[in-house]
Amino acid sequence: MSELDLSALPRPKSQPWQVRNPKNTWLIAAASVLPMVLAVIITLVASIDPTVATILVFLPLQIIATVSVGQYIYGKKGRGDAILVIFTIFFSTLVGVLLVSVMFSVVVNGIRAMSPQFISQNNVYISPTTSLAYGGVGHAVLGTVLIVGLTTLFTIPLGILIAVYLTETRGRMRSTVRTLVQAMSGLPSVVSGLFIFALLISPNFGNATGFTQQAGWVGSIALFPLMLPTVARIAEEALRLVPQELRNGAYALGAPAFKAFWQVTLPAARSGLITAALLGVARIIGETAPLILTTAPANNTNLNVFEGSIATLPTYLYSYISQAQATSQQRAWGAALVILILVFVLFSLARVLGSAKSTKAKKRK
Amino acid sequence: MENIATSASHLRSEDVNVWFGERHVLKNVSLNFPGNQVTALIGPSGCGKSTFLRTLNRMHELIPSAGFAGRVLLDDKDIYGAEVDPVDVRLNIGMVFQKPNPFPTMSIRENVLSGLKLTGRRGYVAEEVVETSLRRASIWSEVKDRLNDPALSLSGGQQQRLCIARSLAMNPEVLLMDEPCSALDPGSTRRIEETITELSDSMTIVIVTHNMQQAQRVSHQTAFFLSEDGNPGRVVEFGKTDDVFNNPVDPRTNDYVNGHFG
Repeated sequence: MSELDLSALPRPKSQPWQVRNPKNTWLIAAASVLPMVLAVIITLVASIDPTVATILVFLPLQIIATVSVGQYIYGKKGRGDAILVIFTIFFSTLVGVLLVSVMFSVVVNGIRAMSPQFISQNNVYISPTTSLAYGGVGHAVLGTVLIVGLTTLFTIPLGILIAVYLTETRGRMRSTVRTLVQAMSGLPSVVSGLFIFALLISPNFGNATGFTQQAGWVGSIALFPLMLPTVARIAEEALRLVPQELRNGAYALGAPAFKAFWQVTLPAARSGLITAALLGVARIIGETAPLILTTAPANNTNLNVFEGSIATLPTYLYSYISQAQATSQQRAWGAALVILILVFVLFSLARVLGSAKSTKAKKRK
Repeated sequence: MENIATSASHLRSEDVNVWFGERHVLKNVSLNFPGNQVTALIGPSGCGKSTFLRTLNRMHELIPSAGFAGRVLLDDKDIYGAEVDPVDVRLNIGMVFQKPNPFPTMSIRENVLSGLKLTGRRGYVAEEVVETSLRRASIWSEVKDRLNDPALSLSGGQQQRLCIARSLAMNPEVLLMDEPCSALDPGSTRRIEETITELSDSMTIVIVTHNMQQAQRVSHQTAFFLSEDGNPGRVVEFGKTDDVFNNPVDPRTNDYVNGHFG
């Protein structure tokens, strides 16, 4: 046998199936550009509204062009392909545009109110006409952090406990609990707020004086039913992803169930559980309706969640957007931007914390 | 290696029956596993040999629908007795699985010590245990310079030997192995077989295998399981490995070990 050449070869520039007839390349280029050019011309000549033109002129033209070129090059198969490709691109662009325009309007409108003082100062002595150079959402940021933090404090352990019950035990109530958690995730937030309001605050629902005044902790309780299903369901998924072999490995060493869970299953599910916690927080951080019903708005900084009126970012936004003055509206947009930034920070944290350990393990593999 | 017990316990099953739901999968299995002997369980897929292996340290109880009848005696003490905790059973009867399952969040060293930690014997944790166990599983020379690397950085064969080392750190009297080489290449398989032979000096070993040559190489005695036409699995033949392979009593054993079916 002759000597084998074992050295590595450079990767070829194109794959065998990617080689195209040059004529077809021109056709595809034409089909990609011509409909748009035609649509622009027709829109300008007939002076149609651009949005209407996109749907009524450009889309049909593009479909006709792509389908006929697809039919020409690939036959019947190419026709179906072309239709799917067009619709996929069109609708994903639509969703992308929607998402970007929401972000864009918040950033553009919010950036005008943004300044270090807007984030750090509170709202005392600020009237609807005060210049944007004074006052800010500092008190609302703190209020949001406190109320959401308090909710998190008791929701995350409970949510993870539910997930553990659903995945790690053979409890008889599992299907009932799962159904209840799913039903809970459909609970409208305003209903949750109203329920807690009626239960703890309102004097008109059987309780002559009301159990308490509006306060931060009541808001925390109203947010609880909204956060719990999110945490429980994502944590359940995370625990379910831990292979049964790992648990068996621990049991085969003579580990009691609790230690096997604590030292093997839980660390293996760590990143998923962190994701569950942070997505739970992200779920409630912008909730408005329950807080409008259960907390009293405030202009001053209140660090006591157990008494007195307290501001939060969503309620701040709500109260300012309903006022007529331009500065008030801008403050509302600024608050919206601050919420977006908070959520962004949380999601980034979730990704960093959640992937830190798992990527290390993968890299070494 | 002074701390390793050299006399292994003796394990016996008496009329073991297993059901999954209402389905009877294993019927009246009575086998004897004398100390320091390697017993191979062979038979076609689905004949219940893995299930039987799991009844020997009560791992089958982790399957919710499993039902059991019979007795399994470890040194004449019934491990299914009313006062026995299955967790204690598994302390004395270790198990190695078909697929290597090192704990992914732990390093090589932590994996070896995981059993001690999981059973709350932290005081016993010592560097010697790590080295002794890894040596007994014939993997020490390959990992001694990287004990703090993640366990998943090892190859499949090394992971399996790490799992064996993890079981050995618990110093079990009996080691159950469920097709430990089925996912491994011939080189790793040979090393694990050597390990099994060395380990039989200090413990009783039961191994499930689909590899006839492996059964002949490592085992002293062999049990042939068979489940025919949807009937529960039974032991068709049980005896010295030489006899089962070269001079079987039952014609079906002869057919199976010579590759005529299954």
